Amino acid sequence: MTLSFFQHQWKAFWRSKNTGKSVAVRVVMAFLTLYLFLNIVFVAFFLDRILDELFPSETVISAFNGILLYYFLMDILTRFQLQELPTLSVRPYLTLPVTRRQIVNYLSVCSLWTPFNIAPLLLTLPFLLKQVLPFHGAAIFFGYLVSIIALTLFNHFFSLWFKRKVNINSWFLLGFVVIVVLLALLDFHWEVISFSDISRSIFNGIYTMPLLCVVPSILATVIFLVNYNFLKNNLYLDELRSDHSGEKSSTDIAFLNKFGIAGQLAALELKLIMRNKRPGSSLKICGLMMFYGLLIYTNPAYGTGYGWKIFVGMFMTGIFIINYGQFMFSWQSSHFDGIMAQKVKAEDFLRSKFILFYCFSAVAYILTIPYVYFGWEVLLIHSVMFLWNIGINTLIVLYFATRNYKRIDLSKGSSFNWEGVGASQWILSIPLIFLPYVIFLPFSLFGLQMWGILLIALSSVALLITRNYWLDLLVQEFNEKRYTIAEGFRNE
Amino acid sequence: MIEIRDLKKVYNGVTVVDVPSLSISAGESVGLVGNNGAGKTTLFRIILDLIRKDSGEVISKGYNVSETDNWKDYTGSYLDEGFLIDYLTPEEYFYYIGSLYQVSRSDVDLKLDMYREFFNDEILSKKKYIRDLSKGNQSKVGVIACLLQQPEIILLDEPFANIDPSTQIRLKNILKQIERGSNCTTIVSSHDLNHVTDVCQRILLMEKGKIIKDIRTDSNTLTELESYFSVQQVESFKSIDRS
Repeated sequence: MTLSFFQHQWKAFWRSKNTGKSVAVRVVMAFLTLYLFLNIVFVAFFLDRILDELFPSETVISAFNGILLYYFLMDILTRFQLQELPTLSVRPYLTLPVTRRQIVNYLSVCSLWTPFNIAPLLLTLPFLLKQVLPFHGAAIFFGYLVSIIALTLFNHFFSLWFKRKVNINSWFLLGFVVIVVLLALLDFHWEVISFSDISRSIFNGIYTMPLLCVVPSILATVIFLVNYNFLKNNLYLDELRSDHSGEKSSTDIAFLNKFGIAGQLAALELKLIMRNKRPGSSLKICGLMMFYGLLIYTNPAYGTGYGWKIFVGMFMTGIFIINYGQFMFSWQSSHFDGIMAQKVKAEDFLRSKFILFYCFSAVAYILTIPYVYFGWEVLLIHSVMFLWNIGINTLIVLYFATRNYKRIDLSKGSSFNWEGVGASQWILSIPLIFLPYVIFLPFSLFGLQMWGILLIALSSVALLITRNYWLDLLVQEFNEKRYTIAEGFRNE
Repeated sequence: MIEIRDLKKVYNGVTVVDVPSLSISAGESVGLVGNNGAGKTTLFRIILDLIRKDSGEVISKGYNVSETDNWKDYTGSYLDEGFLIDYLTPEEYFYYIGSLYQVSRSDVDLKLDMYREFFNDEILSKKKYIRDLSKGNQSKVGVIACLLQQPEIILLDEPFANIDPSTQIRLKNILKQIERGSNCTTIVSSHDLNHVTDVCQRILLMEKGKIIKDIRTDSNTLTELESYFSVQQVESFKSIDRS
């Protein structure tokens, strides 16, 4: 039975309408993952030396014991964010003579195949083989191995169960991050508790008595059964559905009504973002990006030049245009036919995108004003890049949007979700990233950085002033391509 | 009102719509019937300029639909859920559609009040998004949304599917009322021969993209249509027997 599930999944993948592209995407993904794994193996191979460097006062084993728990805590945190619940569309099988046990078994087995479960082994096995097996014997080696596998499985099933159980939304995650940060502060900054000590005492226990590895094994088994039973008892259509809908109310965004039909459409899209999962999570990523500057500006390695500031400024003030805009029109794929058949002029439709982009960029710009702390140039460059975003990037993004024919399901999360990703997004990133430097670099090479910035500002303003001309071009482009766009959006 | 000339649409070498000429005058109510794959929905989509035709033209009240947007001012249409914005509440959706046609909120409310019976208390102030409504209720929202403006042309693709019998009868009454009370042209496709002959003055029968019959509805139409569809049945049974 499980075999025929696999077969069906296999066929579903190859026969899906956008398989051609999705194979290409998967190949890219596979290379990235492989590269990541190579890095991990590399680190793992030299783990003993790294530990020696970091903790010169301790033995390698003790240092290793000290960090293991950190790893698994980090692991569970990333799993909460990134691990997807296994998807077999169980609906067609529920009424067939297939037992629930079989379906649940399949879901459990299938879920195991994720990089999260391979990484811990890759990371520790070389170390165990190099340091533990030859010097401390097979018993201790197997003790470690079993505990690490068991803890991995524990994390795996725990995160699956937890995710299903509380139906994690992004706010919950935010709370979780806060707790983790707090714990980290308690550990590293205030030094009230020490996970390192806890970790050491746990794994020292396993080191002295390898048989103790049954404890994590039991934990893993228990959580597996909990997850299993939970799934088995909740295998009903209405309960597997991801959003449990409460009462919904009508709202009105009065501010945008001032801009006529275009404003109406912008308000509509705002609701789209607020009320659907994928655009919602993409908006939250935009929120997180507001902290990007902290990473760069606090790090002296990036120097005092303007080069990085241009990038950071553009990225922070324009994150919405980049992150949300790259999938432009696809967001509306499910009701695109309606928009085309109703009395919506292409001009208003595109104008509404401008309104949306301007509003979000303005908010991002205001939020990033405090970065003036790192110098007045930062604020200046942010301002210039804000103009660049609304003047030029908006146009670039909308131009590429007329070449994007991929449907997006709004109800799915955005992490590891490659739906809607095509060549257009990859190509789009080239002008987005390099265009400002095409203007800036020639000046910067001659030491005239400020002139470069000035020219960026001037060209942005020039395009803002001539906006209606570009809008006309976009309208023509859109009218030319709208049949293809609508056709693409109809393919589920 | 609607003029179609030399219309052709080909997908992968198969002609899905082939209408050399069709003329529908103002105030006419037209029923479009035909088996699955006959090209009804494609024809609707071409009339609404949602897909690019390979040749020919559709003229609506003198406007070529693929050249201007003017026809949108007086055309109400509902083909499938792709016309609904499913993350809105029905009220929000109605107000939005109203605003596109400069119908004020209070006028929208008045209109909706007229269709209260049709909604049967399942649509308004339910505190649900459209995506959480059942298919039948979604279709009610779509149909009423295109009546909010004073349309001169109404296109409905299988409006009788998915809705319950009482609502079907109410919908028939609404359509008849439109026919009697205004000069509105309606094109309705349906698999339900009873309903469609009841509502429409003129029936177009499509097969493999072609309009093979164009009849004024009279007391014999239903029998005529039924015999057409059952003949096909007999033929297909024969072919099963042969194979």
